[in-house]
Amino acid sequence: MQEADLTEQLEQPGAATAALNGDPAESATAVDPADPAAAPSEAPMIVFEAVTKVYDPNVVALREASFVIEKGEFVFLVGPSGSGKSTIMRLLLKELDPTDGRIIVGGRELARLRRSKVPMLRRNLGCVFQDFKLLTDRTAYDNVAYALKVQGDSKTQIRAKVPEILALVGLGSKMTNVPHELSGGEQQRVSIARAFVNHPPLLICDEPTGNLDPDTSVGIMQLLYRINRTGTTVVMATHDREMVDKMRKRVIALEEGVVVRDERRGGYG
Amino acid sequence: MRARLFVTEAFRSIAANLSTSVAAVMTVLIGMFLLGLFIALGSWVISWTNHVKKDLVVDVYFCTELTCGTEATTKEINAVKLQLDQNPDVKSYKFVSKDDAWEEMKDRFPELTENAPRNPLPASYEVIPEDADQVQAIAASLQPPPVGVETVKYGEKKAERVLQVAKIIGGIFLVGSLILLVASTILIANTIRLSIFSRRREIEVMKLVGASNWFVRAPFMLEGLLCGLAGSILAVVLLLLAKELALPGIMGRIESPGDIQAWNFPVVALILIVMSLLVGAFGSGITLRRFLRI
Ligand SMILES: Nc1ncnc2c1ncn2[C@@H]1O[C@H](COP(=O)(O)OP(=O)(O)O)[C@@H](O)[C@H]1O
Ligand SMILES: [Mg+2]
Repeated sequence: MQEADLTEQLEQPGAATAALNGDPAESATAVDPADPAAAPSEAPMIVFEAVTKVYDPNVVALREASFVIEKGEFVFLVGPSGSGKSTIMRLLLKELDPTDGRIIVGGRELARLRRSKVPMLRRNLGCVFQDFKLLTDRTAYDNVAYALKVQGDSKTQIRAKVPEILALVGLGSKMTNVPHELSGGEQQRVSIARAFVNHPPLLICDEPTGNLDPDTSVGIMQLLYRINRTGTTVVMATHDREMVDKMRKRVIALEEGVVVRDERRGGYG
Repeated sequence: MRARLFVTEAFRSIAANLSTSVAAVMTVLIGMFLLGLFIALGSWVISWTNHVKKDLVVDVYFCTELTCGTEATTKEINAVKLQLDQNPDVKSYKFVSKDDAWEEMKDRFPELTENAPRNPLPASYEVIPEDADQVQAIAASLQPPPVGVETVKYGEKKAERVLQVAKIIGGIFLVGSLILLVASTILIANTIRLSIFSRRREIEVMKLVGASNWFVRAPFMLEGLLCGLAGSILAVVLLLLAKELALPGIMGRIESPGDIQAWNFPVVALILIVMSLLVGAFGSGITLRRFLRI
């Protein structure tokens, strides 16, 4: 399975893929996190302009990083440990503010985004992490439902959306299991379901396969690829050389906080 | 709609963190029980002090045939009355006639009065000072005794010493209550801090999926409020038990005039409950602030 061309494999439309596909064009236009009407639809999804991030006391995690990610792209962020991949993710979530430079997400400059609008940004920006970041005392269903509750969805809406998205990621039969009753791959599927249940225009994944064995990783990659096919922009930080080489997608390589390479159909390098 | 969601979340979280919730309730229970005990005890001491203060009066005894050879005349009595009227230290005074004194004597010591040939008791003025400390000054203003006055007596050393002790006890009570108040607040705050610290990862996740600060905070505050409520109600129940069961046993052995009373129990209970609610809710809310900056 890992031997064949992964991209080709992933394009086989299964039942779930069909459901996921929906209308890619429509998803792609709903981009602006804070205000969909504000940005023209041709605007890039992400713009980094000479972004520098210095942590206290004096760790330079990102040095004048610049790149543009268009809507609907699938982009790998690669580089050794400590090269600044997670820092980019945290900047996108406005968990951190850059020391210098500009970050624009969905046409909206993050520095101008008020603190009170940050939850709105995050509801339109799915995020997946290496450690899943699930609420450990809640079932798979409740973990996904929480992302809907925070934005004020009604019980009826939640009852309609959650089982559908969980079935989509292949967990239709494990909705009532709590995280420790699920395998790593299954937990990551729950976290992807939670990230995607709002159909956000942008999905960012920080080493989503970092804790998973290769076979499980392929399954997660398939899922992310299918999500990308619906028009959702996917940015994925990874260490997984084999995966990156197979996918032949755009690769942005980092080294010590500097963007050293940016190839349209690259390999890990 | 939101409110119901927050209530559900709060109960969910209490159940999920049962040991922490129980610890929080117990902390409130202990703190509030001790504080309630102190308030009750302290207010009893204050009430007792006031009672002793009331005993601090100046008695002006008029002449009788037995003591001076002649009874004090109305004129002489009125002269003393005038003097008391003009003294700014005097709050009020009461005239006790010979007959009044005799009646009181009859009530208190019937066997002594039974076969007395006539009333030997003097008429007197019972003078209450503006401040208990002024008894001495008032007595001094009647020295040497005006004509017709046999003697002037006041609460002497014993009452004064009692008052001093009461003052010290009152001070100890005040300081003790403050220390207890601060200690229980710190204890409760610490319990809240630990509970929130152990759940900071949960809070981080909530914020990452787009929960607003208030969405995270409201269930936590509600949880603090409920723990505070539970703890303080338990404390009030314990205090009530102590009052109903233990107190009669203790009080039975202490001679306690009717006008000495601890504070109204419902008022103390209300104060404790309201304080616990506030500390629970705002303690959680304020502690949370540090963890919400994500
Ligand atoms: N909170 C932090 N405080 C100080 N330094 C940090 C912090 N987070 C990350 N760093 C440093 O910043 C650099 C980049 O880290 P990171 O973005 O996590 O890299 P990656 O995800 O590629 O491994 C590293 O040198 C790391 O030690
Ligand atoms: Mg990292």
